[in-house]
Amino acid sequence: MTATLEYTLNQEDFIPKVIEIRDLTKTYMMGQVPVQALRGVTLDVHKGDFIAFLGPSGSGKSTLLNMIGALDRPTTGTVLINGIDISTLGDNELADLRQSVGFVYQTFNLISRLDAIGNVELPLSIAGIEKKKRRSKAEVMLKIVGLGDRMHHKPSELSGGERQRVAVARALVTNPSFIIMDEPTGNLDSKTGLEIMEFAKRLNREQGITLIIVTHDPEIGSQARRTIHLRDGLIESDAVN
Amino acid sequence: MRIGDVLGYSFSAIRLRKLRAGLTTLGVAIGIAAIVALLSFTAGLQVTMTQQFQEGFGADTLTVSSGGGIFGLLGGGSGDSDFSLLLNDTKAIDSIDHVESSVATMTKTIEANFSGDVVPVSLSGINFTAYSSMYSTFVAGAGSIPESPTDNDVVIGSSIADPWKNGTIVAEVGDEVSIIWTGRVNGSIVQTNYTGTVVAILEEIGGFGLGPSDMGFYIPMHWAVNFFHTDEISTIAVKIDTQDQTLIDTIIQEIEDMFDGLVTVTQPSAILDMMDSMLGILNIFLAGIASISLIVAGVGIMNIMIVSLIERTREIGILKGMGMRGRTVMGIFLSEAMMIGFLGGVVGIAAGVLIGNLIGGVVSNMGSSGLIPGGRSSAMSSIPNITPIFSIDLLAFAILFGVGVAVIFGIYPARRASKLNPVDALRSE
Repeated sequence: MTATLEYTLNQEDFIPKVIEIRDLTKTYMMGQVPVQALRGVTLDVHKGDFIAFLGPSGSGKSTLLNMIGALDRPTTGTVLINGIDISTLGDNELADLRQSVGFVYQTFNLISRLDAIGNVELPLSIAGIEKKKRRSKAEVMLKIVGLGDRMHHKPSELSGGERQRVAVARALVTNPSFIIMDEPTGNLDSKTGLEIMEFAKRLNREQGITLIIVTHDPEIGSQARRTIHLRDGLIESDAVN
Repeated sequence: MRIGDVLGYSFSAIRLRKLRAGLTTLGVAIGIAAIVALLSFTAGLQVTMTQQFQEGFGADTLTVSSGGGIFGLLGGGSGDSDFSLLLNDTKAIDSIDHVESSVATMTKTIEANFSGDVVPVSLSGINFTAYSSMYSTFVAGAGSIPESPTDNDVVIGSSIADPWKNGTIVAEVGDEVSIIWTGRVNGSIVQTNYTGTVVAILEEIGGFGLGPSDMGFYIPMHWAVNFFHTDEISTIAVKIDTQDQTLIDTIIQEIEDMFDGLVTVTQPSAILDMMDSMLGILNIFLAGIASISLIVAGVGIMNIMIVSLIERTREIGILKGMGMRGRTVMGIFLSEAMMIGFLGGVVGIAAGVLIGNLIGGVVSNMGSSGLIPGGRSSAMSSIPNITPIFSIDLLAFAILFGVGVAVIFGIYPARRASKLNPVDALRSE
């Protein structure tokens, strides 16, 4: 008698998970009124994924993003980042965990008084890396994003696209396990936005960097390999393009 | 994050708002300058006074006076007791163990007429030889102090001869001086005149004390006894040959017992101690006043840092989003406050040194140019040069105080910054 192996292995089961979310809910207080932003989200993100979260405003995208980025803790459910349950962490450990997450914001969020290289160095400086080492790392990273000749320009001296590339370099420089992009093209014209997206796709394809993009723009979302639609704090659809 | 990087980051934030940081620093600098100037000046005053005092009194000299003691004497009074010391009392005091010698002084207020210049002076009848062996400052600058003086020999202090220090000489060696004393002898009012000759002018002494003085007018004791028709004396200076405080206490007790407790025996170090404690109180008082300005500066720092906190909420969010710990955020804000405090301290010390020297210069100038009214007849005429003292202790204290105030007032805004929720901070405009 031979038993048939019932279980079929997916390719995904061999790839390590960088994020595991189980039954995540988040309620926060808006003044006196409790708002349930997430109502039970279960989701895995594997290494090398390129995921886009889509959904109208109020769908819970930003809240989910804050959890994934270790900026906030869940109300119930678990969020594991690199296998670490963030709800068990204190403020300091949570801060340390954020050093392994790269963030790119819609409004770039560069420090205006620091030049491009200063901004890219900053996360390394926070991680306690010495000056010489972080400078050379930041230089390499700025060259990768194509700003090798604008390292000493202040953000005010750079175009929107260039600023966003500095922000991408800053997110990449710590060699994070994944990068979160929150409406990365929101403040850019469509041409520059597409350039950034092309760059992001290349990073994912060529360097195997895990990318999580949040957007309300379906066109941007369609460039990802997997799109997750959120509505009213729940996953509405999860599809591989 | 490394400490050097925290400081560098803070410095870049300060540099961005130069005027604001500059004005806040100025506030601290003013407070520190006030502290340094005032305290260095009192420190100088203390040293000068101590020095003058030690010159005025022999350190190994006790002073016996009737009644109220030395403070009555310093104030020009003669005590509140009917008891008087007599000339012969020195013999009894000399017999006490460890007493080397004793000298009586008879003090009277008279008018001295230097060929038309009438000067009120405090006359002392003394034994010239014994007095000069007791006080090293009783030395002739001009002329010479006779060993066996004749009746009309007079020794005067340098400020009597040259009161304004500007070349207008009132008396020289060899000049005649007539002395007028009005007093009571055996019930009737007597006005006595006498003519003496200046045989010596003392070297400039400076300062004050119970010993020789620049305002002194000295005649031989036996002449004073005849002139004032009395052998009641004012004070007896007692030279002792020991430094041992328990022995000195015994001597003081013995002298007081000898006169049934009607005399006061004063030890110079006791006065010094008291002056020191008085100056200590003055010091605390002045430091307190100066500290107020520093506290005002501290409030300024707090104010500016709260403004900065509000302006930089988003920046704090970005930093926290990149994994900066709350403690590091606090460190950034505190080191900004610290830099302002330190810079203010350095600038304040420089300004304080300048102001301290100015005050010292002005006060010394007032003394030597006779700007203080009544300079001739009051002890104020001999204001010594006061050099402010900038000790390392004072400067270190000033810097520490500046940094301390800055940090203390920086704690609240720094804590608030460190407690910011990154999600909210990132959302702020």
